[in-house]
Amino acid sequence: MNLATGSSLDSMKTRGTGVRAVFGALAQRTGWLPVLAFLALAAGCGGGASTVVNPIVDVPAVPDYIGPAPANADVQAFKINLWQNIKANNRCGACHAAGGTAPILFARNDDINLAYQDANGVVNLTQPDQSRMVIKVGGGHNCWLSSNQACADILTTWITNWAGAAAGGGRQIQLVAPPDKTVGSTRNFPVDSSAFASTVYPIVRQYCSRCHQAASQTPQQPYFASSDVDTAYAAVKTKINLDNPAQSRLVLRLREEFHNCWSDCAANSDTMEAAITTMAGMVPVTQIDPALVVSKALTLYDGTVASGGNRFDNNVIALYEFKTGNGSTAFDTSGVEPAANLTISGNVEWVGGWGLNIKGGKAQATTTASKKLYDMIKSTGEYSIEAWIAPANVAQENAYIVSYSGGTMARNFTLAQTMYQYDAFGRSSNTDANGQPELITAAADRDAQAALQHVVVTFDPVNGRRVYVNGVNTNDADAQKGGTLGDWDDTFAFVVGNEVSSNRSWTGVVKLVAIHNRALTEEQINQNFQAGVGERYFMLFNVSQLINVPQSYIEFEVSQYDSYGYLFNKPTFISLDPNAMPGNITIKGMRIGVNGAEGKVGQAYIPLNKSVVDAQYTALDGERLSNIGTVIGLEKGPATDLFFLTFEQIGTNTHSVIEAAPPAPPTPADNPPVSDVGLHTFEEVNAAMSQATTVPTTNASVDATYQTVKQQLPTSVNIEGFVSAHQVGVAQLAISYCSTLVNDTTKRTALFPGFDFSATLTSGGGDLVINPLISRAIGTGLASQPSATAVHDELDNLIGRLCPGSTCTGTRTATVVKAVCAAAIGNGATLIK
Amino acid sequence: MEHAMNTMNILDAKRSARQQPCVRAVSVLLAALAMVVTASGAAAGPREQAKRIHDRIAGVPPSAATLDAMATDITAGRPQDAALLAMDASAFYTVTLKNFVTPWTNRDQTVFAPLNDYTATVIGMVRDDVPFNTVLSADLVYVGNSSLGLPAYSVANNDLYDQMESQGIDLKTGLVSSTQSAVTGLPPNATAGVITTRAAAQAFFVAGTNRAMFRFTLMNHLCRDLEQVQDTTRPPDRIRQDVARSPGGDSRIFLNSCIGCHSGMDPMAQAFAYYNFDSTAGQIVYTAGTVQPKYTINMDNFKPGFVTPDDHWDNRWRQGPNQLLGWDANLAGSGNGAKSLGAELAASDAFAHCQEEKVFKNVCLRAPGNAADRSQVNSMVASFKSSNYKMKQVFADAAVYCMGD
Repeated sequence: MNLATGSSLDSMKTRGTGVRAVFGALAQRTGWLPVLAFLALAAGCGGGASTVVNPIVDVPAVPDYIGPAPANADVQAFKINLWQNIKANNRCGACHAAGGTAPILFARNDDINLAYQDANGVVNLTQPDQSRMVIKVGGGHNCWLSSNQACADILTTWITNWAGAAAGGGRQIQLVAPPDKTVGSTRNFPVDSSAFASTVYPIVRQYCSRCHQAASQTPQQPYFASSDVDTAYAAVKTKINLDNPAQSRLVLRLREEFHNCWSDCAANSDTMEAAITTMAGMVPVTQIDPALVVSKALTLYDGTVASGGNRFDNNVIALYEFKTGNGSTAFDTSGVEPAANLTISGNVEWVGGWGLNIKGGKAQATTTASKKLYDMIKSTGEYSIEAWIAPANVAQENAYIVSYSGGTMARNFTLAQTMYQYDAFGRSSNTDANGQPELITAAADRDAQAALQHVVVTFDPVNGRRVYVNGVNTNDADAQKGGTLGDWDDTFAFVVGNEVSSNRSWTGVVKLVAIHNRALTEEQINQNFQAGVGERYFMLFNVSQLINVPQSYIEFEVSQYDSYGYLFNKPTFISLDPNAMPGNITIKGMRIGVNGAEGKVGQAYIPLNKSVVDAQYTALDGERLSNIGTVIGLEKGPATDLFFLTFEQIGTNTHSVIEAAPPAPPTPADNPPVSDVGLHTFEEVNAAMSQATTVPTTNASVDATYQTVKQQLPTSVNIEGFVSAHQVGVAQLAISYCSTLVNDTTKRTALFPGFDFSATLTSGGGDLVINPLISRAIGTGLASQPSATAVHDELDNLIGRLCPGSTCTGTRTATVVKAVCAAAIGNGATLIK
Repeated sequence: MEHAMNTMNILDAKRSARQQPCVRAVSVLLAALAMVVTASGAAAGPREQAKRIHDRIAGVPPSAATLDAMATDITAGRPQDAALLAMDASAFYTVTLKNFVTPWTNRDQTVFAPLNDYTATVIGMVRDDVPFNTVLSADLVYVGNSSLGLPAYSVANNDLYDQMESQGIDLKTGLVSSTQSAVTGLPPNATAGVITTRAAAQAFFVAGTNRAMFRFTLMNHLCRDLEQVQDTTRPPDRIRQDVARSPGGDSRIFLNSCIGCHSGMDPMAQAFAYYNFDSTAGQIVYTAGTVQPKYTINMDNFKPGFVTPDDHWDNRWRQGPNQLLGWDANLAGSGNGAKSLGAELAASDAFAHCQEEKVFKNVCLRAPGNAADRSQVNSMVASFKSSNYKMKQVFADAAVYCMGD
């Protein structure tokens, strides 16, 4: 389609500058499409200039518009934003055009004003996503793509663009009373553990008891493999799903997470599932406990869509919300043609609540479709990469999240993760062909977290790249500054989760990616951050039957948080009767139930104790019960999981919840016998030697030796841990102490009274040395120590061996005394306690 | 005997060939060890029992006179007195207790850490029979005796204790009692025993989110790491915003793992909301009434998470399986600040059991491993409580139990 050709242009020409002024205003209001239209029109108005081919339009041609000019600016906005996109023969134009088979001819090309009138009947400019046209197509009515959701989203975008900023702010969600459903039936755990004992327990006892019992060497809660079956039963309840055995944690842990399978994970998980199924078969289906105070029930999709996301998308040129949920295509729902749809390849899974879980694969557009990024960004010289992501970990490096590139050495832009940092590569006149030097967020800031984050990289010619995380500028300045994009390459491909060469894998969940051809301002970025991501619903739990307030509900804002859980947030008491007032209602101990049973985990509102009073209540907003949100585990899926609330008190209805006392822990098994004796540890060895030799530990010489061998000496009393290095250290320290002792004439005289160190020393003549040492270091009269006689003889023999001819003279005497001393204080008798 | 052979080989290796005569000294070691091993199997009399008690309590052999006196006590049926006599040895404080406590004072749990105010305070409490159940709440710190010419206690460094260690100060006599509020400037109600010592702050209040202080207190004083107390059924309403509810995009991890610890830990670690450790100044920081910024970091990880408004703590583990930790029914189970939390923890049965188990292991060289051991520990717990939490009593009880037959 060429906006600058055809009779429509000719007719506009006749309207002169007045029309031009209208278009100028629209361009400011509704983004780039009007701008392009305006530019094209302006060219036409110049008279004689050749028409300009708009490179982004790829809709099959239809007969030229020959009808009257748009009657006003709104008709014009309808024409360029919606009509132009749906008039094609392979879209709505096939039936809804003039002469078509449909009764409503909003795609007719004979009179745009009549088409406008018809269109008004099927659009909702206040809530574009609630337009009849969108709902119809989203429901499967002749979607031109493989995904009805994608068609609906694109239509929403076009209608939003038509509505312009009017659709953005201040939109009121109209809460709609959900259908009343009663809480379903379920299998509840019996009080008695016998069903568990005969089915699942033997398995967990055999294969899980190495850790999951208190008596384990490496005890790991929960103790569901305890030797006491009642203890095990109390602990296992959160790990078994009696209504859906395959969804039991005991099964999933083996089947999907390969957690300590005892042989083959698939077979082991089957065994576990079969055991749980058998156990479930022994438990009758019961209705919910009639004593509970419960609300009415509803599923997620019974809620009112909370589409209040006031995103700033005026300059979006590619948008991926990953709503499809299956298949191999992630649709570009920006509404900007051509759609740069992503083809999913490799290990990538769809995530519940919208998103892709990228585990090594990628999602990539064709180079042809990607070229629109090149075209549109080069035309403005600036861009923004926006992504809602949850990195799987903060250990990955060189992990490319969003990239427009041609391999590891050439790119236009890339957003990447390096552990706790985000990297922004961006090719410009101030960088190389690989967009380097890249801008890296400061390591100390740890901007990247393994949690859902909103990350935006902006580029403008003055400031260059900036990174915003969760709406806040990381304040990492781009040393390269801005520059121009003249060197960009239009042969690259747009890719998510990897490099096009598939060797820069990023793992994590991506829930939204948007490319804008303007550098978003911090305010705009924060607006998009605040808008959030993912599908959200207002769930209204009917409590009218419990209190005397008509049409009263507990409202939650609920979203599917990921594939495995729901986020329940902002519980609010509200009545849909605008004239109703709560009076004074006490709400205590609220729990969220799923499929007939109160979940055990994630019950954040048990401590809630709130009085809803008229003074705090407004008919529009109700009264908020808590600012805390909580995650509740997914069981059967958002379409079928039936939620309800229970209360310990609401109004005058009460139900006391008394937790059962935990069973007493079983008697642990006996430990294997261990040695009755052990080793003196390092400082004890040091102190004992000091005590035996009277040399203080602070003596410079011995302290130097001690500091050297300190960590070489035994640090554990475990005698089985004795190694040769220990004894080397003991010997070194003993020699140091004894050397210091013998070199100190005062101390040696005091310790060895009567011994003459200048005299001859012979075997059999060393009693004055040997006996004090035995007494001080080893002790006497102790059956637990070697006998003094035996030690004496050994030390005496040592003198004989060390003295040539069994006689020492001169300095040799002192040397041998040192050796005798070291042998006396550094042996097994002093090392063992 | 294999160890004995190792011993010989070691010395063989140590000495070079030209020191051949000295190598012969090894034979003494070999012979001595052989005899010890042989002798250990023999029935132990009062002297042998006295020797073992002293070895285990003081870490060094007794003098002949001490041995005689202890043996006399044992013979007279007063083995507890013998054990208390062994505690007169300086080495009990300077060696045994120091090495007993030092691993509690650092994240690496290494015994090779310098003496510090945490260690010194525990040693002083044992020496002076200060009721040990105040170790996590008292306005107490042990400093160097002023007569020793040591540096004064400083909130900004460890010089005092470094000097005490390098000078080989006898910790039995060199420590004197003081109050943290007097020497650190903390308000008295902001002191919480060893929790608010400089060493603990440096190790567990530094950076992070202050959860480390809770975890290590739990490990060191209740003998349980978080894995042993995790309970996924507690309400998660007090878990802070920084804990991702869908880490890596998988909320199962949160619902089956993270929540188990955080649902109990975060409401209790809130007691430390006003504390921090300033690494630059090297000292503990306390901001009464103002929550430390570390409590609100990474707030976007889960925006609807709990935002800490003050230092009010609640013990959610008084319900559910962790009520088996034996909480004191006379306490409220909630409060404000570290002091009352410390009192809550130290009043639990788990705290008393933990002290017994630690001492038992230190003295008997093994964990309580059979019915007799467990019975002994239970009896020691009763004795500990009835003695108004005297730690010496615990050491004496354990040493007597393991002195040999």
